[in-house]
Amino acid sequence: MTLPQNLSGWLKLVLPWLLFVALLLLPVTSPSDNVIRLLFLTAVYSTAGLGWNLLGGMAGQVSFGFAVFFGLGSYTTALLMHAGHSPYFGFVGGAAIAMLASFFIGLPTFRLRGPYFVIATIGVTEAVRVIMNNLEITGGASGYRIIEDKPFNPLEHYYTAIVAVALAVLVSAIIANSKFGLALRAIKQDQDAAADLGVNPYTSKLWIHAIAAGLTGIAGGIYARRAGFFYPGDVFAFQTGINILLIPVIGGVGTIWGPVLGGVIFIIVEETISAKYQDFHLLIYGALLMLIVLVEPGGLIKSKRLWAGMGRLLVGLFTGTTWKALFALLQKLLRKLRFLKPQRIEGKT
Amino acid sequence: MDAAEYLDLLLKALLLAGVYAAMAVGMTVVYGVMKIVNLAHAGFLMLGAYFSFELFNRFHINPVLGAVIALPVFFLFGMLVHWLLVRWLPKSDTPTLASLLLMFGFWLVLQNLAYAKWGNDDQSIFTPLTLSAVHIGDTISIPKVNLVVFAAAVFCMVVLQIVFHRSWFGRSMRALIQNPYGAQIVGVDDQRTARLTFGLGTAFAGFAGALLGMLYSFSPDFGRPFLLRSFVIIVLGGLESVSGVALGAIVLAILETFSTVIPFPWYHQGWKTYYLPPSYQPVIPFVLLVVVLVIMPKGLAGLFNRKWKTA
Repeated sequence: MTLPQNLSGWLKLVLPWLLFVALLLLPVTSPSDNVIRLLFLTAVYSTAGLGWNLLGGMAGQVSFGFAVFFGLGSYTTALLMHAGHSPYFGFVGGAAIAMLASFFIGLPTFRLRGPYFVIATIGVTEAVRVIMNNLEITGGASGYRIIEDKPFNPLEHYYTAIVAVALAVLVSAIIANSKFGLALRAIKQDQDAAADLGVNPYTSKLWIHAIAAGLTGIAGGIYARRAGFFYPGDVFAFQTGINILLIPVIGGVGTIWGPVLGGVIFIIVEETISAKYQDFHLLIYGALLMLIVLVEPGGLIKSKRLWAGMGRLLVGLFTGTTWKALFALLQKLLRKLRFLKPQRIEGKT
Repeated sequence: MDAAEYLDLLLKALLLAGVYAAMAVGMTVVYGVMKIVNLAHAGFLMLGAYFSFELFNRFHINPVLGAVIALPVFFLFGMLVHWLLVRWLPKSDTPTLASLLLMFGFWLVLQNLAYAKWGNDDQSIFTPLTLSAVHIGDTISIPKVNLVVFAAAVFCMVVLQIVFHRSWFGRSMRALIQNPYGAQIVGVDDQRTARLTFGLGTAFAGFAGALLGMLYSFSPDFGRPFLLRSFVIIVLGGLESVSGVALGAIVLAILETFSTVIPFPWYHQGWKTYYLPPSYQPVIPFVLLVVVLVIMPKGLAGLFNRKWKTA
């Protein structure tokens, strides 16, 4: 491995580690339980989002069906813990079952392309949810309960989640810098051309699907262990799959840090705005989704406008011009809409 | 079960297929012309049901008439949506992630507005038609409301076919479906046609939603199962063909209706015949969807086309 040659290269190498260490040391400052809970949720959702991003962002295969892996991770962890195994063994088991399921789903559906694949994944989630609702060994629609014979320790859950998200970032970074990652990006850009150059799209997609499913399964297991109680209408819900998809889309599809940023924003929105205006939480997600698609299709992490605006906001906090800066940011974001013109058709016949 | 009971079920399945076809046809034209998988279709279906519900409750307008009124209203609404949102999407030959997410976001917004306006309760439209039935013989009884809904759906499909084949708008629509570049070269205004098509798709969604509202109870989450059924139907029909939709609707309706009454052999302490538990019936469309997609990605129509070409 070569050392970075300039300052920004060093920053890119060092900052993630600094962040990781800071998150590990955070409990020293004895933050409130709620802060720990929020960071836990952020880490869990970011892990799942990073998993989705491997398939949806790098390989370009949009799946609405990641709730299946999240739910399978939850249930496997719960069943293994119920059988007397350690929760960490449960997480590994959840990842393994999710990976196995990903092959069952991927073998037929990766024969499909583009919209057909997307539609098939919707079908798969709904079918799995109906089956889980009727399956007797997991308690059917009434859900499943995890009982641990020890006091509830939020910090343990927190550390597990932080390690999981670090693992997900590491896996993403390794894949992005590997030959395999290159093959995936080639498939995203042009599957036929990639196949001509010696990439096997089918097996590549299957493997990245399995890795993504494994990460999502781990996230599901960690979530379920803290939640203690879950049911198919929750972990297998279409909405869960949507949440997992929203996170990378908000943050930045195909980037490594995008899903992490997306997770942070998602939890902030979820906990502040939608908790306050519960009657409008779907509206908020919908509007956020539409705004991002229309204004910042690359996700927020690539938005120079947003970062500049954030800088100005920070300055504003000290100089007392926050509202002015916020207004300027909104104005800039909305100005883009006016310049958007219906575009000519691009691409091949 | 004897033959008359099967006939009864078959008739019910065919009547259901009429509504299914009306429901899926809007999605098909939008996909064909714009290559957008319209996830907001579910929202339009739901709004259609509430539209006729409101007309019925406030002005005591017959729900069938309400469904017909929904056509022009939703046509304008769809054009507005296209003008506000859809036209900003980058164009492409295949559905893009952006279009999926945009329409999904819009569906969420519609759903939330419906929750805010009508709440979470299940509503239903109850007319004198609802409980009366036509009896043929001893076993066959067809609810009148199904008959009326079927007639309305078929009538509108026929009107759509006429528009499709006998008007300039229909011709430009078909041209864009067949070859977008060729169509633009010979002077089809693609933006205008796309706007009108989206309006048409939305109008049919609202219409079908109003009809479905007469058959089932509905809540703001009403559209979801029907969205997936629409997918199955248009995939069976080959995504772009309107006549394929009718075929797909019939196949789905028959499979759904008969899934729980056809016994299948199963090994559990010796071979026995079992019936599919009714609670698993919702799985049928999704399993069918995946199976059909994998076996014949071009749909039934594609299968026939291939046969005809080789023959």
